[in-house]
Amino acid sequence: MGINAERADGTVIAKADGRIDSSNSREFHTELEAVVADSDAALVLDFEDVAYISSAGMRVILLTAKSLQKSGIKLALCSMNDSIREVFKISGFDKIIEIHESQAEALSAVGA
Amino acid sequence: MLFLRAETDGEERRTGYEVLADLVAAIEALGEDDGWSGDLTFRISLVVDELVQNVVDYAYNDDAPGDVEVVVTSLDETVVIEITDEGKPFDPLTEAPAPDLTSPIESRPIGGLGVHFTKTLMDDVEYRRESGRNRLRIVTRKSPSG
Repeated sequence: MGINAERADGTVIAKADGRIDSSNSREFHTELEAVVADSDAALVLDFEDVAYISSAGMRVILLTAKSLQKSGIKLALCSMNDSIREVFKISGFDKIIEIHESQAEALSAVGA
Repeated sequence: MLFLRAETDGEERRTGYEVLADLVAAIEALGEDDGWSGDLTFRISLVVDELVQNVVDYAYNDDAPGDVEVVVTSLDETVVIEITDEGKPFDPLTEAPAPDLTSPIESRPIGGLGVHFTKTLMDDVEYRRESGRNRLRIVTRKSPSG
C-alpha cells in the first residue's frame, strides 16, 4: 500500500494502491493525513490501483471524510473496482461520500 | 474439492496481523487453482479477514493469547469457510453491535462493519459454541445469488 499525491491549485489528487487492510491501515491513515494537510479546497482519492479494502481501511476513509467535512474541504472518491464499490454500498458510505466513475468526473464534481 | 487449513501459533496478539496476510495469500492461491471469479476471491478474503480480525481483537486477552483455525473448502457450487477459536464465548452474529448505515457523516459511528459484510456478502452464516470453542460456518454460492 502506498499513496501518490499531486497538487493542482488547492486540489490534491491522491492515488492509493495495493491492499488496504488491518495490517497497514495505520500507515494508510498517517499517509492520508499528510495528504489532507496539503489540501486547501478539495481532495480526490483515486482507487484505480487499489485491489482490496477491509473495514479497517473503511474506518480510515470515514475518519478522513469526517475531518475534511469539519475543515470545509470537499472530498470525492473515484475509479473503484466493482468489489470495492459494492463494499462502499453495503457500508452505506456511498450515501455520505461522493463516489465517481472516473477521476475526471470526480475533479469536475469538486469544482477543480 | 480444494481446501486450505491454517492455524496461528498463538504466541502474540500481533501475530494475527502477519498470519492474516499469509492467510489471504493462501485464499488467493486457492481461488486461482479453482478458477474463482475475482469478486468471489475478494468476498472470501474479506470475510476471512474480518472474522479472524474479530477473533484476534476480541476472543483472547492480550495476556492469554490463543489459536484460531481457518478452513476454506471449495466445493462444486459453494465455498465453505469454517473459523474456530478457543476464546471467550462470543457469537458475532447476535452480539456484535449492528452498524449504523444511515446517520450523516458527522455522527456516523465507526465500526461494526466486519460482521455486516459477512451477513450481506455470504449466503449462510451459522454460529455454534461447542466443546469450549466458538465455531463459525459460512457458506456462499460461487455464482452470484439471484
